[in-house]
Amino acid sequence: MNSPTFNAWKLVSLSPLPTWAVVFLALGLLLGVALAAWGVRKEPSRGRRVLLWALRVGAGVAALFFLLEPGIRHLQVARMKNRVAVLVDRSASMDFPSEPGGPTRTAQVARFLEKAAPGLEALQDRFTVELHGFDPELTPVTAASLVKEPPRGGTTDLLSALRSVAGAGQGARKLSGVLLLSDGTDNAELKSGAVGRARAALVDLGVPVSTFTVGQEALKDLSIEALKVDDFAFVRNSLTVEAEIHGRGFRGQEIPVVLRQEGKTVASKTVRLETSDDVKPVSFTFTPDQTGRFVYTVSVPTFPDEAVAENNSRSFTLKVIRDRVRVLLVVGRPSWDERYLRGLLKQDANVDLISFYILRTLSDDPGTNNDRELSLIPFPMEEIFDTKLDTFDVVIFQNFGYTDPSLSIAEYERNLERYIHNGGAFVMLGGDSVLGEGRANMPTLMEALPVVAAGPANPEPFTARLTPEGLRHPVTAIGMGASATEAAWTQLPPIPGANLTRARPGATVLLEHPHLTTDGKNAPLVAVWDYGRGRSLVMATDASWYWAFAAHRDGSPNRAYDRFWGNALRWLVRDPDLTTLKVTADPPAVEPGRPVAVVVQARSADYQPAQDAQVRVELFSVASQKAVAVQTGATGQDGVVRLEFAPPEPGPYKLLATAKKGETELGQGEDAVAVRAVGPELSDASVRPELMEAIAQVTGGKSYKLPQDGLPDVPLLDPPVVEVGRAKDQPLWDRWYYLVALIGLLGAEWFARRRFGYV
Amino acid sequence: MSARRLTRRNLLLGTAALAPLLSRRAWAFGEKSRFIPAVAKHGGRWDGRLSGLRRIAWELQRRTSVEVVPDARPFALSSPDLFEYPFLYFGGDGAFPPLSEAEVANLRRYLTYGGFMLADANDGSDGDGFDASFRREMARVLPQSPLTEVGSGHVVFKSFFLLDAAPGRLLNKPQMLAANLGKRSAVLYSQNDVAGAWSRNETGDFEFDVSPGGEPQRELAVRLGINVCMYALCLDYKDDAVHLPLILNKRR
Repeated sequence: MNSPTFNAWKLVSLSPLPTWAVVFLALGLLLGVALAAWGVRKEPSRGRRVLLWALRVGAGVAALFFLLEPGIRHLQVARMKNRVAVLVDRSASMDFPSEPGGPTRTAQVARFLEKAAPGLEALQDRFTVELHGFDPELTPVTAASLVKEPPRGGTTDLLSALRSVAGAGQGARKLSGVLLLSDGTDNAELKSGAVGRARAALVDLGVPVSTFTVGQEALKDLSIEALKVDDFAFVRNSLTVEAEIHGRGFRGQEIPVVLRQEGKTVASKTVRLETSDDVKPVSFTFTPDQTGRFVYTVSVPTFPDEAVAENNSRSFTLKVIRDRVRVLLVVGRPSWDERYLRGLLKQDANVDLISFYILRTLSDDPGTNNDRELSLIPFPMEEIFDTKLDTFDVVIFQNFGYTDPSLSIAEYERNLERYIHNGGAFVMLGGDSVLGEGRANMPTLMEALPVVAAGPANPEPFTARLTPEGLRHPVTAIGMGASATEAAWTQLPPIPGANLTRARPGATVLLEHPHLTTDGKNAPLVAVWDYGRGRSLVMATDASWYWAFAAHRDGSPNRAYDRFWGNALRWLVRDPDLTTLKVTADPPAVEPGRPVAVVVQARSADYQPAQDAQVRVELFSVASQKAVAVQTGATGQDGVVRLEFAPPEPGPYKLLATAKKGETELGQGEDAVAVRAVGPELSDASVRPELMEAIAQVTGGKSYKLPQDGLPDVPLLDPPVVEVGRAKDQPLWDRWYYLVALIGLLGAEWFARRRFGYV
Repeated sequence: MSARRLTRRNLLLGTAALAPLLSRRAWAFGEKSRFIPAVAKHGGRWDGRLSGLRRIAWELQRRTSVEVVPDARPFALSSPDLFEYPFLYFGGDGAFPPLSEAEVANLRRYLTYGGFMLADANDGSDGDGFDASFRREMARVLPQSPLTEVGSGHVVFKSFFLLDAAPGRLLNKPQMLAANLGKRSAVLYSQNDVAGAWSRNETGDFEFDVSPGGEPQRELAVRLGINVCMYALCLDYKDDAVHLPLILNKRR
């Protein structure tokens, strides 16, 4: 049997006494030394006193030696092989050039790794060297694979990579150090630098991280950074979009910045970059004029020598919703119809009502020549039909139409027609002044209406009849479900008279006269249509107030009138809840390379979830005005289906959906989605050496810049040492000369004391 | 009491005054959306001011853009037909017997769902006669809405003419009373026989003298009548912010 080979030793106590006993005896020893010293304190000779103290202390030390029984423990030990991790940034920004016209940053890293290979090899006797790429998931890489596979990571998360590599050694080999190779463009926890919690997390790693910054700072690049805008805005309320234009290498140049809504320029500004690395804020204030979700793009021109072209524009989606519905009510003359509509609109908290009534015309004689006795104000025609028209969500003309020069709106008809065409909503209520009757003559405005006048009004009372279209239209849906709606309409009181009109092609008639006809078709009572981007509704009577008041004559409360107008307003302002097909991009803005997903919720005409409906969604490119992909699917029990499109090219898109259940059309809907040209990773081509230096400093590593000719001397934690074999103790106290020394010291002290007269 | 003698000239003028109301256009679209006052029939003397109502309708037609039918339509308060006429005149001379339960219920429903009522003590009573009966019945019809004085800031005083007081044939009370449902005055009540100041006989002459203010007071009573009709038609339109600066300026 071979005797073990010991390669280490250490001094140990071989005393069999328990620790408390050793401590107790040691204290007794100290007391004995102290008492001896105390006993000679009055010795006048300093030399004698010192001699006696030295002899007693020496004897005490010798006694302590015997008490502790020192020995040498021979050991067989081994040194652990720890890990050293080399982390290579695999985010997309590493594909940027390291310097103008130079190789990519990744290529520079690959070159460094080749040169550093001997140095890394030299570490292998004490460490296991691991080479990882991170994007931010760790994957093994080699210098060759770095060159072969371009970096694609959408984000740079240095801390996450460091945590991953530190955690990988738990329970196995420990980490002695990290070599981090990156451009430092972190867009996660270290985005704001190694401060606060991020700094603490770096300290908690407990290993030195030596950093190697890749890339030069002096690249020429223009980018849109830090786009600040809310997720939603209120229609007809101004909104501000703030962007930061980051320009490197554009000192003294003026840069035009443009904000576009799906190709249409909304606003533009010019910023002047003062320094070679300048960030200029630019803000655009504009007023969305239509509800819905839209894609907006902020862009700057692309210059030929820029490092990155993709970060010169940035898209975002904006959901434009309505605040309160702002209604303009223009009334030809006070009447009961006006009175009940006003009462309804005024009590609706969601309606902001602005009214103008013609209380007196030129032919009326108020019986006084003094205007101060009247409460009348001039009709502010220019203000409401020109300056402020676009601030209204809905304009209602109630039996309003004059040819008198002071009350004629002929001058503003085109404004109103354009207002509707550009997304406004308009309602015309009939009466004896409009729709072919009396004084009204508004040919331009009439173009925007779904009906045309077809003859003199009919004063015979009639009960309005719901058309098949009206049965499933949200405006006339005054009951819970189709049958309840139909019953509700038949129960309403007759209306005393209607204007005779004819529906235009494309108009949807919701309510009609039961027997009065024009061209063989029943005369419309309520008709709607979309005109341009806007909507208009005509009610060919001035007696709908019968549904409000006369409906109560039999005692049962009836809210049909309220519900009808509530529905009408919601439909006119395109309330998203009134669509049978709700289309939602999920999410509304997509990072490059990610699929575009859409959730479609289909409802039947009675607004119940439409199960097994066939949904077709078209991904329509706003930029090219072409459909780029189509997806189809069937809805589930809840009437919802989720579809996904393969990642499209960057740009603004619309999701246009239609749905069918059997042969029944369930309507159509749309939403917008922005596919970003660049994610946060590619929006900035700069490198951040200061972050890399801070990481090294906080963790106890060193920072370097590439290129480096080989591996520098990086700080690494020493691997721990562990006993791997048995130990052998060799006592030191059981030698005869130690005993002689103790006795000699005690004897010498005894002799000296006697000699000096103490015993 | 006649204020003017019946002469051939007055007769012609009175007839001519009603001519605009008889034009064909006014009937082209039916009459139901026009201003037609309904008159409440009750157990007392309710029909003493029908000519006054015709007259105020005519004044409304002449002075404002409102289209009227120069008629007053009497109805039993229990009639469901009342719901075709959102303006109801409830006048009387002397006390009247209690309304039936059906009348009370119908009138309550009428007022609650948007109807408007102008009450008028034709006898100028205060604490007795029509006044006592009317207050008694209103306490049954709208027990939660007691009659309160109409403040000078009420929109009825600026709905067409700018007024400070509410005179009628008499001036017993400078202001009217109101029963409010929410922010809306569903009932306005005058103890000054306001319709008495409007009334004319068949020949076009005013039926009653006006005191204490004479003809200027009659003009104010007519203006008040127009304002009340305009309030019934337009509610608080003249309280909208857009009118405020001009009205304040004129009142200065």
